[in-house]
Amino acid sequence: MSKDTSKFLCPYCAETFGSFDELAAHALAQHKGEPEPRPEGMIHLTVNGQEFDIQVQPQWTLNYVVHDLLGFTSPKMFCDRGACGSCTVIMEGRPILSCMSLAIECDGQSIETAEGVAQAKHPLIDAYVKHHTMQCGYCTPGFVTTAKALLDKNPDPSLDDIKEALGGNLCRCGTYPQHPKAILEAAAELRKDQGEGQNG
Amino acid sequence: MKAFAHFNAASVEEAVSLLQRYDGKAQVIAGGTDLLGKMKDRILPGYPEALVNIKTIPGLDGIAEKDGLLKVGTLAILEDIAHHPVVREKYSALAQAARRTASPHLREMGTLGGNITQDIRCWYYRNPNNRFPCLRKGGGRCYALAGDNRYHSIFGGSVPEGCVAVHPSDTAPALIALGAKVLTSQRSMAIDEFFQVGVAKTTVLEGHEVVTGVEIPQPAPGSKSAFIKFAFRKSIDFPIVNCAALVQTQGGKVAQARICLNAVFPKPYRAVAAEEAIRGKKLNQANADKAGEAAVAEAEPLSHNAYMVTAAKALVSRALLACSG
Repeated sequence: MSKDTSKFLCPYCAETFGSFDELAAHALAQHKGEPEPRPEGMIHLTVNGQEFDIQVQPQWTLNYVVHDLLGFTSPKMFCDRGACGSCTVIMEGRPILSCMSLAIECDGQSIETAEGVAQAKHPLIDAYVKHHTMQCGYCTPGFVTTAKALLDKNPDPSLDDIKEALGGNLCRCGTYPQHPKAILEAAAELRKDQGEGQNG
Repeated sequence: MKAFAHFNAASVEEAVSLLQRYDGKAQVIAGGTDLLGKMKDRILPGYPEALVNIKTIPGLDGIAEKDGLLKVGTLAILEDIAHHPVVREKYSALAQAARRTASPHLREMGTLGGNITQDIRCWYYRNPNNRFPCLRKGGGRCYALAGDNRYHSIFGGSVPEGCVAVHPSDTAPALIALGAKVLTSQRSMAIDEFFQVGVAKTTVLEGHEVVTGVEIPQPAPGSKSAFIKFAFRKSIDFPIVNCAALVQTQGGKVAQARICLNAVFPKPYRAVAAEEAIRGKKLNQANADKAGEAAVAEAEPLSHNAYMVTAAKALVSRALLACSG
């Protein structure tokens, strides 16, 4: 179905008019003082605290926008089918797959990538380095964001909690045994930081 | 992905009217994890001209118990269902099923409505670029009949000519065991009537009908429900076979049982024979095994999936025993 271009569509209320003059008169009379309407496909995205307004096409995935267009290269494209977890980002506290999300449906959302986790000096990063939690490193940002979302929700995870949370992240190098070690250490570090904070 | 139009529906009515306008050429998108995979792989000869996003409709993501019913909105996230204290306590089969669905990330995105309306699984049907124009796509034959059918139906096809694909939902059998009702934009129906066997689609939904939620009656006193799944990997796979059961016991004997298998037939397979076999009996290993045998008595495995009959038999027995005590 193509759009009818013979009509003039009010960008505020979608009412149609036969001529531009009628539309202009309507807009001035009805919508004066309202904020400017946003063009179709314009989304507002906050990535690691930085705000972006970007015009997207409906078929663009969140991964394409965040990785290819905005340049946050940590959410990796690997399977592109939601089966590997490499493209994980945190949205509304949930670890979600950016390859299976349409950017146009993320309007107004705030997203955190592994860059954001590093920027915030989260102890996960040091723990991941210390425990050699990567070999080729391609899947690592997906693991880090998943682990960060877990620690945000559950500051004292058990080994089983960690295994369950990381169940959707695949690593071809086989670094699996190292991840729980790093996450448990980061969790202990976080609790120590918070404890110090509370004691003054 | 190819280009398509995209609409954020503000209400159920708007979603329905958009679907009507596109007359079968638009698809509803919620979590999107099944739909986008299908679109990326271009498995179908046709391609949706538009997607209607229903995540923007307020009030469809609730999980709440009210008037003896558990009401779960169509947009309720699977991970939230899995960890909801009321669901875990009283509707355990649903919580366990939601917790075993896909991977943690997919559960954080996937919705209950999407999980029960997802498309069937068959590697010929889902092969990229419409490689196998099978019966389900309007083609001439079911490739799985003569091909590799190790994950296909053990209870026959959708139609006499074949289509032995299976329904992969984990939550659907749990909802059937719990006797849920499906609410849509135009009606409500028992979930047993929601799924259909046909090559065109997996549900009785009309082209412009949208699932809005499910209602589950509170299990009667003395009831317990459980869900068990057999898959290769514990954390991420689709089921090879899964089974949900709801058992009400009175005086040490089974008064009522509802048992449903899935991934064994093109729609969730309610094991009525097993329900009859266990009714009035004590819930012990021997009787549970007999119920398992009754469940698969009419199975007709294909050339590569006889093992699924054994699995289904064992799962029925284990799901029943999980409801004891």
